[in-house]
Amino acid sequence: MSVHGLKKLAIEHLRGSVVPFVLPFEKNKKLTVVYGENGTGKSTICDAFEFVGKGRVGSLDNRGLGKTNRYWHSVGKKPTDVSVTLETMDNALCRASIVNGEVVANPSDGRPRVEILRRSQILRLVAAQPGDRYAEVSRFIDVSGVEASEATLRELIKQLNSRRGEAIAVVQANEESLQQFWESAGKPGTDSLAWANVEAKHDPGATDADVAALTALQAAYSRLVDYPLRLKSANDGVQSAKNELVAAQQKAQESVQTIASDAGELVSVLQAARTYLHKHPSPTSCPLCESDEKVQGLSDRITQRLASFSGVQDVQAQVKMAESALIRANQQVEMLHENAEKHLQEFETVLTGFAWPADITIPALPQDLGILEAWLSETAHLPAEWKMAETLRQDKKQFLTTLNRALTTYAENVLAQKELDALLPKLNRVLEIVEEERRNFSGAILAKIAGEVGRIYELVHPGEGLNKISLQLDPAKRASLQIGADFCGEAGAPPQAYFSESHLDTLGLCVFLALAALDSPENTILVLDDVLASVDEPHVDRLIEMLYAEALKFRHCVITTHYGPWKHKLRWGWLKNGQCQFVELARWTNQSGLTLIRTLPDVERLKLLLAEQPPDPQSVCSKAGFILEAALNFLTLLYECAVPRKPEDRYTIGDLLPAVKGKLRQSMRVEILTGTDANGAPTYKCESLTPIFDELTRIAEARNVFGCHFKAISFELLDSDALQFGQQVHALMEILTDMDAGWPKNSNSGEYWATSGETRRLYPLRKPS
Amino acid sequence: MKTPSQELSEKIIERLIREGLITAEAANAIQPKLAEGKLRGEDWRLPIELGVRKEAKP
Repeated sequence: MSVHGLKKLAIEHLRGSVVPFVLPFEKNKKLTVVYGENGTGKSTICDAFEFVGKGRVGSLDNRGLGKTNRYWHSVGKKPTDVSVTLETMDNALCRASIVNGEVVANPSDGRPRVEILRRSQILRLVAAQPGDRYAEVSRFIDVSGVEASEATLRELIKQLNSRRGEAIAVVQANEESLQQFWESAGKPGTDSLAWANVEAKHDPGATDADVAALTALQAAYSRLVDYPLRLKSANDGVQSAKNELVAAQQKAQESVQTIASDAGELVSVLQAARTYLHKHPSPTSCPLCESDEKVQGLSDRITQRLASFSGVQDVQAQVKMAESALIRANQQVEMLHENAEKHLQEFETVLTGFAWPADITIPALPQDLGILEAWLSETAHLPAEWKMAETLRQDKKQFLTTLNRALTTYAENVLAQKELDALLPKLNRVLEIVEEERRNFSGAILAKIAGEVGRIYELVHPGEGLNKISLQLDPAKRASLQIGADFCGEAGAPPQAYFSESHLDTLGLCVFLALAALDSPENTILVLDDVLASVDEPHVDRLIEMLYAEALKFRHCVITTHYGPWKHKLRWGWLKNGQCQFVELARWTNQSGLTLIRTLPDVERLKLLLAEQPPDPQSVCSKAGFILEAALNFLTLLYECAVPRKPEDRYTIGDLLPAVKGKLRQSMRVEILTGTDANGAPTYKCESLTPIFDELTRIAEARNVFGCHFKAISFELLDSDALQFGQQVHALMEILTDMDAGWPKNSNSGEYWATSGETRRLYPLRKPS
Repeated sequence: MKTPSQELSEKIIERLIREGLITAEAANAIQPKLAEGKLRGEDWRLPIELGVRKEAKP
């Protein structure tokens, strides 16, 4: 985006520009006043600035048209025909056009920054709802980012306060637990905490070895306890087996004796024969006697004989079983002895392998297994004692562990509480600072805006006491802005309730200007579309003066108006217009569209008439007379000169010129600013008005003869008198007025009347008596 | 051009440093987040806590 001065604005087929229209801007003039009666296309120019700057056309808003882009192009044209091009003094261009229904700028970053205020919007800020008013200024005071961070800080403080409360409660609970421990321990020392700290130094694992040794001792002892009973049972088993063997042997003997003395041997022979015959089932002779007699059926007969000896066989089997049972019983007894010896050895190892504390009773070892039962009986009370000693040690360990845990928790929470005690005041202070800075920041900006509004307002309504404007955020609501003013001593009164419509319009304009000037005004083109409509006459001049002054802050200011007096006051140089370019629009037609009229101030026109070759005496006299009447009207009012009363102020040169007379005429002089001296002080040259008035008095008749009506007497007069009249009037205006700074109307010096910037100083201040 | 939040955050940070509540180094780290509304509770706590600890160990 270029920020150079504006060169020209070219509008094609936007709204009223049915044919391409170009508005040229004069170099080094930052204010352009576009004058035109209603229907001349002023708003089209404003629309063009909005189109190129903001990509929209706001003048059609709120007219019940719905989507207004259907009406942006001129009648008979298409949206794609619309274009607006802004050219700057560095020859940079920004062209806006409609592409696919969207306003596109080329280059895209070349859009000028534009702020527009239209007549219909002038009360927007003053009469809006507080929320809407806030929206207008939010871009200057919207600190929602900081507010969000502030909220997290507030939440953090809340959480930490809660955590601190919990830490305090835990510390109290820990203190109570320690007190109970202390009381249980009999309140040794001075207080529970000192005691707990000493106790906590003891190693909870110090008794672990005692406990382990006691556990092993009890286990070793318990393994010995059953041996007497088991040994007795095993010995009984041996004895029983012996008895059973004797009985079986006796029974077997008796059974053999009942059969034959050698029955036993015979049975053995028969069994061997049966085994042989089983292998050789068809022998040809007896294997024992080698006789073949009765060899037939030998095997069957042997089987029959063995069957007769079966009772003897059973008894012999029982004997064998009894013998085996005795062997096993003896082995059992032997094994029990070995195990008992082994466990007794283990018990001895446990007993002698540890340095037993004094409170543990250690028994003497039994000399042999024979006295084990008696020994166990003597020491039967010891396992219970050992168990109690083990339990005592485990309880002590548990106590120390619990005490340590309580102390650790206590210490942690005391530390946490202390840390929070140190941290929270700091965080609270940070929050105070954030809140304070935020309020101050928003307050300062609003105060600055309000002060600026008041200052601008005072330029238009000086001394009315309505300049104390206040803007305040509503603390009870978010994004709500209240506007107030001092009215009849009541501070903060809503201006909507008390101000006249004209005053409210001025206030709305002041608010808009103050806001626009707050945000990079040097880059901003300010467009004011017909904002003077309702301002009452006494305030218009000051409003215009104010606009001149404020416009200088901006990159450029365009003001459209249909206020006729402004045009005429500019023509007469009654307003300072050094920075002002005045353009006038002719009546709009659908063939020609917007058209500019070149408007020249009358003094400039007189100068041109005098410069013509040959000059026209009649035209010169006519224009000069017109100007002289204006100058004399100004001076006679300024010095309160006596002139005949006439209806409708229809004074002529004949009435006014003689009124500037006597001491007044003799003393009238003008100091003209020529520059500054070496010290920077302004330097002036002095010009007396007396000879001009004297000469004008001499030749004033020329005006009536040449400039007003056809008179044959004019044939008798010299053209040079007519031209001299024009030259004297021009000289008077050159001395008295400054087309850039206006007429000398300011008496603030108390010595003279001055133009703006004191480029002219008119003496005397008052008519000499 | 700075946003109002950025301008305000600069003022806040400057004041916090002036009052010795945070160090300039910590301030540099938190200022952008402060302006953007992205400063979490821990982000507030850490620099202040560091300041408190520094104060406790002169």
